[in-house]
Amino acid sequence: MKSPSRSWGWLAIAIVAAALVTGFITYRMFNGSVDEMTAQADYQNVILVNVLVGISVALFIFQLKWGALRVALTVVAALILGYIVTAFFNLDTAAQFTRGKYEVALISEAAPTTADGTTLSYGGVEKGEFNKQGVRSPVTDVQYTFAGKSGDVVTLLAYAANNRSLVDLQLALTDASGATLATATAATAEQIGQFKDLRTEQDAALQDFTLPADGLYTLDVRPEVVSFSTTIGETVKATNAAYDAFLLGALGRVNRWAVWIQDALTLILVGLAIAIAFRANQFSLGAEGQLYLGALASGMIALAWGNMSPWIVIPVAILASVTAGFLWGLIPGILKAYLNANELVSTLMLNTIAIRFYDLVLTFQLKPPEAGYISSEKFTNNAIFPSIVAETQVTVAVFIVIAAVIAVWLLITRTPLGYEIRMVGANQRFAAYGGVNTRRTIMLSMAISGILAGLVGAHLSMGIYRQLLINISIGLAFEGVVVALLARNDPLVIPFTGFLYAYLRAGAQFMERDANVSFEVVRIIQAVIILLITAEALIAYFQQRRVQRKGLQSTAEHSKQAAEGGAHG
Amino acid sequence: MPLLEARNIVKIYPNGTRANNDISFSVEKGEIHAIVGENGAGKSTLMKMLYGLETPTSGEIFLRDQPVHIDTPHKAIDLGIGMVHQNFMLVDSFTVAENIALGREPRTGAVVDRAKAIQDTKNLAETYGLYVDPTAKIEAIPVGMRQRVEILKALYRGAEILILDEPTAVLTPKETNDLFAAIRSLVNQGKTLIFITHKLREVMEISDRVTVMRDAQKVGTVNTRETSIPELARMMVGREVFMVVDKPPVQRGKSVLKVSNLSYANEAGRTLVHRASFSVYESEILGIAGVEGNGQTELIEVLTGLRNPTEGEAYVDGQSMLGQGPRKVREQRVTHIPEDRLTNGVARDGSIADNLIIDRYYREPFAKSGLLNLSEIEQNGHDMIKQFGILATGPAQPVGGLSGGNMQKVIVAREFSSSPRLLIAAQPTRGVDIGAIEFIHQQLVNKRTEGLAILLVSADLQEVMKLADRLMVMYNGEIVAILNNGPDLTEEKLGLYMLGAARQTPEEMGVLA
Repeated sequence: MKSPSRSWGWLAIAIVAAALVTGFITYRMFNGSVDEMTAQADYQNVILVNVLVGISVALFIFQLKWGALRVALTVVAALILGYIVTAFFNLDTAAQFTRGKYEVALISEAAPTTADGTTLSYGGVEKGEFNKQGVRSPVTDVQYTFAGKSGDVVTLLAYAANNRSLVDLQLALTDASGATLATATAATAEQIGQFKDLRTEQDAALQDFTLPADGLYTLDVRPEVVSFSTTIGETVKATNAAYDAFLLGALGRVNRWAVWIQDALTLILVGLAIAIAFRANQFSLGAEGQLYLGALASGMIALAWGNMSPWIVIPVAILASVTAGFLWGLIPGILKAYLNANELVSTLMLNTIAIRFYDLVLTFQLKPPEAGYISSEKFTNNAIFPSIVAETQVTVAVFIVIAAVIAVWLLITRTPLGYEIRMVGANQRFAAYGGVNTRRTIMLSMAISGILAGLVGAHLSMGIYRQLLINISIGLAFEGVVVALLARNDPLVIPFTGFLYAYLRAGAQFMERDANVSFEVVRIIQAVIILLITAEALIAYFQQRRVQRKGLQSTAEHSKQAAEGGAHG
Repeated sequence: MPLLEARNIVKIYPNGTRANNDISFSVEKGEIHAIVGENGAGKSTLMKMLYGLETPTSGEIFLRDQPVHIDTPHKAIDLGIGMVHQNFMLVDSFTVAENIALGREPRTGAVVDRAKAIQDTKNLAETYGLYVDPTAKIEAIPVGMRQRVEILKALYRGAEILILDEPTAVLTPKETNDLFAAIRSLVNQGKTLIFITHKLREVMEISDRVTVMRDAQKVGTVNTRETSIPELARMMVGREVFMVVDKPPVQRGKSVLKVSNLSYANEAGRTLVHRASFSVYESEILGIAGVEGNGQTELIEVLTGLRNPTEGEAYVDGQSMLGQGPRKVREQRVTHIPEDRLTNGVARDGSIADNLIIDRYYREPFAKSGLLNLSEIEQNGHDMIKQFGILATGPAQPVGGLSGGNMQKVIVAREFSSSPRLLIAAQPTRGVDIGAIEFIHQQLVNKRTEGLAILLVSADLQEVMKLADRLMVMYNGEIVAILNNGPDLTEEKLGLYMLGAARQTPEEMGVLA
C-alpha cells in the first residue's frame, strides 16, 4: 500500500497546481485588474468555473501522480512540435516583402523630351504588381524607358501602392549603353516627409539626379532580395503571434473563454460516455448517434412546450434526451450480448441511422417553411439552459456536468454494477466464471454510456445552439475517445482532459482568426498534437503491461526466497 | 571433447530481466542430458539460444570445440541441432510425409516428388524405430504420433543433437514409454539428446546426466546414477521438499454431488461428454484421470454452469444445479478452481482485493444498500493475503503482477474461503512451482479431511494418484472406469483405461446402485 505521507505530498502539489491554474486563468482574463473583473457581469460565476478548472487539475494530478507529469510533458512536447509545424508553414512570411502592388513615379521640372520606345515620361506614374500569387508567370522585375536631355534633374520614386502592400523595393538607373548610373534601395525619413507617396523606408527614392547626356535611360525596379536573417526573424515573429493566439487566445475576453468552457462541458460529457463503455471493454462509438437522438428528443420537447415553465420543460427535455440515449445505447448492447455482434460496427451503423433520422425530422417536420437554412425555430427562453454568465453559453450545464462526473465515478468505483463493469472489462471470461451476468453488464454499460451521450445532445440543443441545426456534432464521439483515453478512462481525470482538449480546440480557432493561419494548417497542428497525446496514452498502456510482467518476475524471486525461509520454520 | 558446450552464457532481456546468469554446461556425444528446473528457472531461454531463437547477451557456444554463432533456427539446423517444441509446429491439413519434407521437398524438376517423400519418411521411421503413418493427415493422428513426426522432421533435416522441450507433458504413460524407447534407439544410433522437463521421475528413468537450474543460474550437473529424486528436488527448489502429502484415512460421508446421465455436445453437434454418471461424497477426493481432451474440461464446465448440458442432471445435496449459470452453482456452495487461470481464474488488471470477491461482491458485507463497502473489501484482501501466504505488496496490487504460484494462491484463497460443500479443482498445480504445489496439495487434502467433497482433474497422473481417494477415468467423453485408489492401482492399469483399451461395466463402476 502507498504510504499516506506520499499521498499527502501529492495532495499538496495538486492543491498548489489548482490554485496556480485558477489564478492564472482569472488573472489573464481580467488583465489582473479587480475593477475590470467586477465590471464583468456574473464575475462570481466566472471565478466559480475557473475554480472548477483548477479542481480538475488537482484531480488529474492526484489520480495519476507521476503519470500526470508524463501527460504534462507530452502536451508540452506536442506543443513544441506544433510550434515547429507552424513555423514551417510560416516560412514564407518574409515573402510578403517581395510581393505586392507598387508604383513608380518620374518627377522632373525640365521640359519633357519625346522619343520612340519610351514607357515613362516626366511627371508620369506607372503601376503594377510584383509576384502576384496564383499567377503562372508573376512579374519579378520591371524596366521603364524614358528620354532625357543632358542636365535634366530627375527624381525617381518606387513605392508600395497601398497600405496592404509590404513590398520592399530597389531601383537602378542605366543609360542607353547599359551602364548603371545610380541605384537606390531605401527612402530617408526626410524624403518620406517630402514626397507624399513614400510611406516607409522600404520604398526607394533617387532624388535630384542630373542626367549626364541626351538619350534614353532605363529605370529598373524590382523587390529587394530578402536576407536569411529577415526570413527567420519574420517566421519566428509570425509563429509567435500565432502561438500567442493559440495558447492565450481563449483567455482574452469572456466570450472567448466561454467558447472554451462550453466546448469543454460537451467533451467532458462525451468523454464520460465513452469511458463507461471502454471500462467494460466495449469499443463503442455509438455516442455520436445517441447524442443526435438526445438532441432531437430534447429539442422536440423544447419546441412543443416552449411556453411552459422552465421548471417543467427543461427537466422533461433532459429526461427525454437521456431516455433516447439509453434506448439507442441498449440496441448495440443487446446485439453484442446475445448475438456477439461487433459493437464497433453496429454502433457506427446505428450512428448513421440516427443522424439521417435526425436530418429527416429536422428537414421535413421541424424546419419552418420560410427558413432558408435547415434548422428549427429558436427555442423560447423558457426552454433553454439558463446562462450563469450573462451573454455566453456557459449555462447550468456546468452543474449537470459536475453531477455526471460524480455519478459516473460513484457508479464505477462504488457500486456492484461498477464492479461488474470493471471485471467484465478486465476479463470477461473471469467475470462469467465468477457468476457475473456478463450479458446484462455489457448491455447496461452501453446503455448507461448512451444516457450520458443523450445528455450531450440536450446540452448541445438547449445549452449551446438553442435550436436544432443540421450537423449539430461532427465527430464529437471521436473527440470523446481522445478525452477518455488520455484520462485512462478515469472519470475523475476526464474533466481535466476535457478542459485541456477543449482549450486546444478553442485555441486553434483563435489562431486561425487572429493570426491569419489558414484552417488547414490549424488542422495539421491539431492533428500533430492529438497524435502525440494519443501515442502517449498507448505508451502508458504498454508500459503498464511491461511493469506487470516485470513485477511477475521479481515477485517470483521473492516467493522463492520466502519459501526457503518458511521451510525451516 | 564435449560435442556441444555453452560457456558463461548470460541473457538479459531488453526489459532488464536476467533469464540466464553465467551458465556453462556441456553435452557429450551420445548422451541423454536432462535439464531440470522450475518454471522460470531459465531452461527454455537457454535452449532457445542453442536453437537460435534468442541470442546470448554474452558468452559463447562451441560445437566440437569450434565457436559457433547461432542467430537463427536455420543456422542451428545447418549445424545439426534440432528442436521439438512443446507446442507442435505442424501443418494440420498436411500429411505426415508432407510435414516431414516441408521446406526440403525432394523434387523431380519443379514438381514435388510425393512418392519419394513418403519413401523417405518410411525409411527414416524404420531406421529410428519411430512408427508413423506417412500418408495420414496430422489432424487425424494422436498426440504421440505427432510428436514422433516432429522428431522425424528434425532428423530429416540432419539433426545430430535433438532438443526436446517437455516432451512428456502431453503424453499418456504408454506413449511416454514408447517415446523413451525411441529416445534410447536414437542414442544407440549416435544421436545426442537434450531433454527439458520438470518431472524428476522421468529424469531418473531416461537420462545419463542432469543439469539443474534455479533462478537463472546453474545449480550443478550430476550423473543420474549418483543422484536421487529428493536430491534433485532439493537442488531445484533450494530447500528440502516433502514430496509426500500427509493424508490421514477418513470415512467418506454422504453424497454431495450426484451426476446422472449427463451429456454435452458443442455447437458443431459433436458429443464431448456422453452420459456421465457418478457421485462425489463428503470427505472424498474423486480424481478424474484421462488424456487431456477426452471431455474432462467440458464436464467441468457443464458442472460449474459455464456450459449447458444437452441432457442429464446433476444435483448438489439433492438440489438441481444445471442450466442456470455459474452464479446459481456458486450459490449452492460449489466452488471451482479453473483449468486455465489466466483466462478464467483472474482478471490480471484487477486488484487482488477485487479478484477475491468475484463470487460474493453483491452480498453482505461487501455490498450494503446498493453500494460497495470498500473498507470491507480491502480488509478481506489483507486477511486472505495473510491467511494464504500470498506474496504481494497489498490488496491493491494488480494480480497480473504476481508470480504464477501466488496467482494460484489468490484463486485458492477465494475458492476455499467461501465455505464450500463441493470443490471442483481443475489442474490446480499446472505451471506452479514445487513449493506452491506442496502448499496446494496439502490444502486440498486438509479440506477433504475436514469434510469437503472434491472433484479433482489433473493431467498429471501422479498428482491424481497421490491425492485421490477414488479415480474416475474418462475416454472419448465417456466414463470408462471408476476405481478405488490403493497400492494395487498402477499407472499401467490406469493407462489401459485412459487409452480406451479396457472399460468397466456400469455394475463394476457401481453407478447404478
